[in-house]
Amino acid sequence: MTTLAVKKNDMAFCPGCSHGMVLEHLSAALDRMKLTPTDVCIVSDIGCIGISDRYLDSHTFHGLHGRSITYAEGIKRARPDLTVVVLIGDGGCGIGTAHLVHSARRGADITVIVCNNFNFGMTGGQHSATTPVCAQTPTTPNGATDYPFDVCQTVGANGASYVGRFTAFDKDLPQRLETAIRTPGFSLLDTWELCVAYYTERNPLNRKTLSELSDSMELPLGELYNRPRPPHPAEPASRSAISKTTEPSNNRAPITLSWPRRTEFCVAGSAGQRILSAVGVIGKLAVAGGLHAAQSDDFPITVSRGHSVSNLILSDKPIFYTGVDNPELLLVLTEDGVRRVKLWERLSPHALVLAETSLNLPDTPAQIERINCKTAEKLVGKPSAALALLSYAIVRGQWLDENRFRAIAEAGIRGKYREDNLKAIDAGINLAHTGFESA
Amino acid sequence: MREFISGNQAIVRGAIRAGCNFVAGYPITPASSILTEVMGAFAQGTGVVVQTEDEIAAIGQCIGAAMAGAKAMTATSGPGISLYSENIGLAQMGEAPLVIVDCQRMGPATGGATATGDGDVMFARHVTSGSYPIPVLAATDATTAYRLTYEAFNIAERLRTPVILLSSKAIALTRQTVDLEAVKLSKLVERHAAASDTAFQPYHVDQPGGVPDFAPIGGSQRVRFTGSVHDEDGGLTIDRVKIDAKLRRLNTKILGVQHSLELVDEDLDDSADTLIVSYGLADGAVREAVTQARDLGAAVSHLTLYSLWPVPGDALRRAATSSIQRVIVPELNLGLYVEEIRKILPGIEVLSIQRIDGGLIKPQRIVDAMMANHRGGASNERSST
Repeated sequence: MTTLAVKKNDMAFCPGCSHGMVLEHLSAALDRMKLTPTDVCIVSDIGCIGISDRYLDSHTFHGLHGRSITYAEGIKRARPDLTVVVLIGDGGCGIGTAHLVHSARRGADITVIVCNNFNFGMTGGQHSATTPVCAQTPTTPNGATDYPFDVCQTVGANGASYVGRFTAFDKDLPQRLETAIRTPGFSLLDTWELCVAYYTERNPLNRKTLSELSDSMELPLGELYNRPRPPHPAEPASRSAISKTTEPSNNRAPITLSWPRRTEFCVAGSAGQRILSAVGVIGKLAVAGGLHAAQSDDFPITVSRGHSVSNLILSDKPIFYTGVDNPELLLVLTEDGVRRVKLWERLSPHALVLAETSLNLPDTPAQIERINCKTAEKLVGKPSAALALLSYAIVRGQWLDENRFRAIAEAGIRGKYREDNLKAIDAGINLAHTGFESA
Repeated sequence: MREFISGNQAIVRGAIRAGCNFVAGYPITPASSILTEVMGAFAQGTGVVVQTEDEIAAIGQCIGAAMAGAKAMTATSGPGISLYSENIGLAQMGEAPLVIVDCQRMGPATGGATATGDGDVMFARHVTSGSYPIPVLAATDATTAYRLTYEAFNIAERLRTPVILLSSKAIALTRQTVDLEAVKLSKLVERHAAASDTAFQPYHVDQPGGVPDFAPIGGSQRVRFTGSVHDEDGGLTIDRVKIDAKLRRLNTKILGVQHSLELVDEDLDDSADTLIVSYGLADGAVREAVTQARDLGAAVSHLTLYSLWPVPGDALRRAATSSIQRVIVPELNLGLYVEEIRKILPGIEVLSIQRIDGGLIKPQRIVDAMMANHRGGASNERSST
C-alpha cells in the first residue's frame, strides 16, 4: 500500500538533506489514510524536491517552476475523488505566489507541502522569498535584507482551511499531513528543512536551532489555521453527459425574405442607445428569413461612454468579406456617431444618410434626410429608440416591404425583449407613414 | 438551420461538439466571450469551467485536467499566448492533448485590443523553446471557426499534442450566418486508451513516430507525467539514445502524418495563370475578389489554407498547376506566411499584399493586383489603405 517505493538513504538527495524525510512522512500519512497509490496524485514543482516523482508509486505530475498548484487544481477539478498533494519548494512559492493565493481563495481541495529550506538548493543556494533577514547567500553577499515571505499567513488570510508550520524533523508530521489532506478546502504545511549543500554551509542552522529561527523571525511553528471550508459542489467532468448535437431546436420563421444583392448598413450613435442590440435584432430577423447577415461592431473599451457603431451586411448570398466600405444606409443618432464615421466623403451619391435633426454633418455626396431621435424616444422609450429608427430607415429606404417586415418580426423575434422589440419595429414602420412632424 | 452567431460562439459550439468538458481561461479582449459562453454551455454540469488568476494558471489547469482525462480548451489573445508559452512546451513534452485558441489582436504587447490582424502566424509555430512542431489551424469566419475547433480537438486527441487555433478579432466578435448542422465534420477522435491488462508505460510507443496510449491520472494504472526529458516510464533520463528517440518522436509524430493534417479549400481553375493563397482574415476578401475577377473574365485559382502548420505543401504544389505564373498572398500582417509559400513554390513569382493597421484588406485591392498581373505589372504591394 505504501506510496514510497524507495528508502530515504537510497534517494538522490544530499546526505543530511531533509527532503527524503518529508517523503517518508507523506507516505506514512497516506498509509494512515489507507489510500492505495493510485488513489493519489502527487504534483511536484521544480527544484530538488521536484525529483521526488521517481520515488513514488502514486500518479505523479512534474511540471513547470511555480505552477504545480495550477496542475493540481486542474487534476482535482477533473477527478474530484482523487487525493492531490503538491510538493513545492520555497522557490516555487516565490515565483508562483499568485497561484498559492488564488487557489486558497477558491478553496481548491488540494494539500500543498512547502519544502522550505530558505534558499535555491538546485541552482547554487541563491536567496528565495523565505530567506531570513541577514542570511548569507550568493545573491545576498551582505546579508539578506528583504522581509521573508510568510507563506502561512498569506494563504491563511486568503481562505485556506488548514495551515501549519512544522519542521521535517517533527515526529507527528504524518498526523499533521493526514489532518491537512482530510480537511476540506485548501491546506498548506510550511515544512522547514535544512539545505546542507548551501544554506547550512553559510548560515548557522541545524535541526535544533530551527525553533530559534522561528522565534527570531516571529514566524511561529505549529498549527495556525484549522477551519474546514467545504468546497463548492464538485462539478462533474463527465463526458457522457454531453449531448452529441449542440444545435438548438429549429426556430426558423416560416417566412422567406427576398433580397436582391449585398447591402451594407451602418448605424452610428453613442453608448447606451442599444445600437448593437438593435442591429442584432435586424440581423437575426434577416437570418430567420433565409438571408445571410454579418454584424461587426465598434465601441471603445470603456463601453458605457463614447461612440457605439454597428455595421450590418445583408445579402441573398453567403457573405465572405465582412468589411463595410460602402454603406447604402448611414443612420446617425449622435455627435459621437458623426465623429466616428470616417467615410462621409466616400459615400455613394445613392447612399441614404438619416441623421438626427440637431447634428451638423460633414460634406458628403450622399442624400441626407433628417430624423428626430426625441420623437422615437417618446414613442417607444429610450432603450428601444434605436431599433424603431432603424426599422423606420429600412422601410423608408424601401429595403423591406412593411408587411413582410411585420410578419417576419412577429414570427422571428423571441426572448425576453420580444414585446419591446415588436413595439419598436411597429413604431418605426408607422413613422415611415406619418413622418416625424405629425408623430 | 441558419443562425446568427459570432466566431467566439462558433468556437464554443465546435468545442462542445467535440466533447470538450474542461475550459479554463482569463479574460482578454477579444477572446473573453468564449469563457462567458462556456459558463452558460456547462451550466448543466456537463463540464468544468473556471476563470483563473492569470493565463499561466488557465493553461496549467487545462494541462492537469487533460492528463486526468478531460478534453480541455483555453482561449486567449496574443498577450495571453505569450504567457502560455512555457506551458505549451510542457504540453508538448508531456504529450497532453489540448486546444488553444488565439483570438488575435494587433501586437506587439498590448497593441490594439480591438484591432484585428493575423500577426501571430509565426508566433504560433515558434511559441515555445525547442521548436518542436505544433499543429496550427486558422479560421476564416464563424463557420470555419466551428469546424476547425472540432478538428483541432481531433488532432489533439489523435496525436496527444497541443493544437493552436487562430482566430482574430474580426472573426471572434463578428456575427455571421451559419448553418452548423450542414458543416461536414470528420469522425470524432478520442485519444487511444491503454490496454488495462498490460504493464502500463506512459510514454511507450510501438514504432518510432508513434503516439503513446493514454491512461488518465486518477485511473487504476499509475501515470507519470513530466516536462523533463524522460524514458518510456516517464522517468527522467540522461540516456542519449532514449533522449534522441523521445525528442525525434515529438517531431515525427506530427511531421510523419503531415499529409493527413492538411486542411484546405481548393477552388482551382486549370487554365488560371494566377493563384491566390489565403488564410485567416484575408480569405473573405479573396473569395469576393475571385468572384469579381472571374466576372471580368479572369482565370484565377484560389486556395484557402485552414491548416498553417505543418505547411500544407501537398495542397500548395497541387494548386500551383502548370499554367500558374504568379501567386498572390494577401495577409493581415507584414507578409509573414508568404515566405513559407515561396519555399514550397520556388521558381514561381509570389507576391505579397499586406495590411497591418487594423483594417481589413479590401476585395478591390486583390482584384487590382490580379488584373495588374494580367497586365504583367504588379509588384509587392505594401500600402495600407
